[in-house]
Amino acid sequence: MRPLEPISEGRKVVLGLSFFVLFFAAWAVATLGGFVSKTFLADPITMVKDGWLLLTKFGFAADIGITIWRVVGGFVLAAIVAVPLGILMGAYKPVEAFLEPFVSFARYLPASAFVPLLILWAGIGETQKLLVIFIGSVFQIILMVAVVVGNTRRDLVEAAYTLGAKDTGIVGRVMIPMNAPEIAEILRLVLGWAWTYVIVAELIGSSSGIGHMIIDSQALLATGQMIFGIIIIGIIGLISDFLFKFLNAKLFPWRLA
Amino acid sequence: MSKLVIEGLGRIFPGVRGGKPVTALQPTNLTIGNNEFVTILGPSGCGKSTLLRMVAGLDRPTSGQILLDGRKVEGPGADRGMVFQSYTLFPWLTVSQNIAFGLNEKGMPERESREIVASYIEKVGLKGFENHYPKQLSGGMQQRTAIARALANDPGVLLLDEPFGALDNQTRALMQELLLGIWEREQKTVIFVTHDIEEAIFLATRCLVMSARPGRIKADLPITLPHPRHYTLKTAPEFSALKARLTEEIRSEAVLAAAH
Repeated sequence: MRPLEPISEGRKVVLGLSFFVLFFAAWAVATLGGFVSKTFLADPITMVKDGWLLLTKFGFAADIGITIWRVVGGFVLAAIVAVPLGILMGAYKPVEAFLEPFVSFARYLPASAFVPLLILWAGIGETQKLLVIFIGSVFQIILMVAVVVGNTRRDLVEAAYTLGAKDTGIVGRVMIPMNAPEIAEILRLVLGWAWTYVIVAELIGSSSGIGHMIIDSQALLATGQMIFGIIIIGIIGLISDFLFKFLNAKLFPWRLA
Repeated sequence: MSKLVIEGLGRIFPGVRGGKPVTALQPTNLTIGNNEFVTILGPSGCGKSTLLRMVAGLDRPTSGQILLDGRKVEGPGADRGMVFQSYTLFPWLTVSQNIAFGLNEKGMPERESREIVASYIEKVGLKGFENHYPKQLSGGMQQRTAIARALANDPGVLLLDEPFGALDNQTRALMQELLLGIWEREQKTVIFVTHDIEEAIFLATRCLVMSARPGRIKADLPITLPHPRHYTLKTAPEFSALKARLTEEIRSEAVLAAAH
């Protein structure tokens, strides 16, 4: 091992997988070996059995579906509002001066703390769930996009000006395409955070979704089910990450060139 | 016939954190004729880039004005193409899309622009690289694309700010010949900023030497070496004589600049 020395694709996959194996092995030893009480932590085999039961008998697939729908719905709404605002803030300094202080403040308002308030305002229906995710994501996206767009290379902007670009052309044909991969990366990151908010929203006042199942299982001390739910979220996150990366490589080939 | 008229053009940068304001360029008068190839030679920090950036409209003068074809320069525009020292190709566009950028901004139909792009790709010797992204090109190729991109717009004046400054010596020499060849064939008004004496002589029909702090033009000499010029010219006696003279001019300035 030397600093920054690259490794082969094959070794990368093997190393990445081996930590998963190690993790599950440690878990299995701790639980099946009797070091940890079953009441607190189910062993991997019980977890898989419980998971199978959940999927086949208790319609857990529908819960997964509804949770994904909530995350994607709230997140897409946030992105539709936040990305254009962020671009405007990054490109035009007066807009930034106007909005930045408030957005910076709002960013620190914890989305989870809004749950009780949002239940009062919007009930315990879907609107409330979407709003929690929306509030949790929108300010983060605005700020991060604004920073990225604001840091557009000045010399590229100047080059575009000398080629006859007008102000709208600078924004539309330089700032946006230049920063599109970065913006996609921001969305990938914030989508990960949105998963935290959806579970929080579902833990309180919900009758469906992965979070609801986890809180139900807690009442029954079914740690196997709870862990299965958590792992499912991890797997979905991994898949969405992979999709984002795949899409980025397809949409922005110039970055990899 | 004068193409570009500069009248009393000066630039003072405000002092940083209460410091004294810095005079980058003393009020300067300059007239550049049609199809002249003017090189501006000076040590770093002499205001030559500031002068060029004001002509491009990227920097505002504190005094004076610039007239291109009798019209006052108020900001950047397609009539003044520019090639920068840093690599400024748009990384998300291919070579031909980069060259077409200005034409698209003008709203030229694709059928027309495609022909112009193809002709410039030919002129700068990038055939076969049309669909490459800037990342895949060497520094010399990137600057050739940048020159093609600026020329495709057919600007009234082409401005170059040490465009070959980041290239190695051999590539640099080839790029000089390429640029000179294009100028000899097409005729264009060019202002070329450099700190390389040999480059300033080889390319120019007229060479301006700038002094440092405050920046001003201290010498203005015509370069009457015959065209078309061949790279062997660089070893000719008349070239060496010019080089010796400019070396003297610039050396005293460099000594002054270094003392500051």
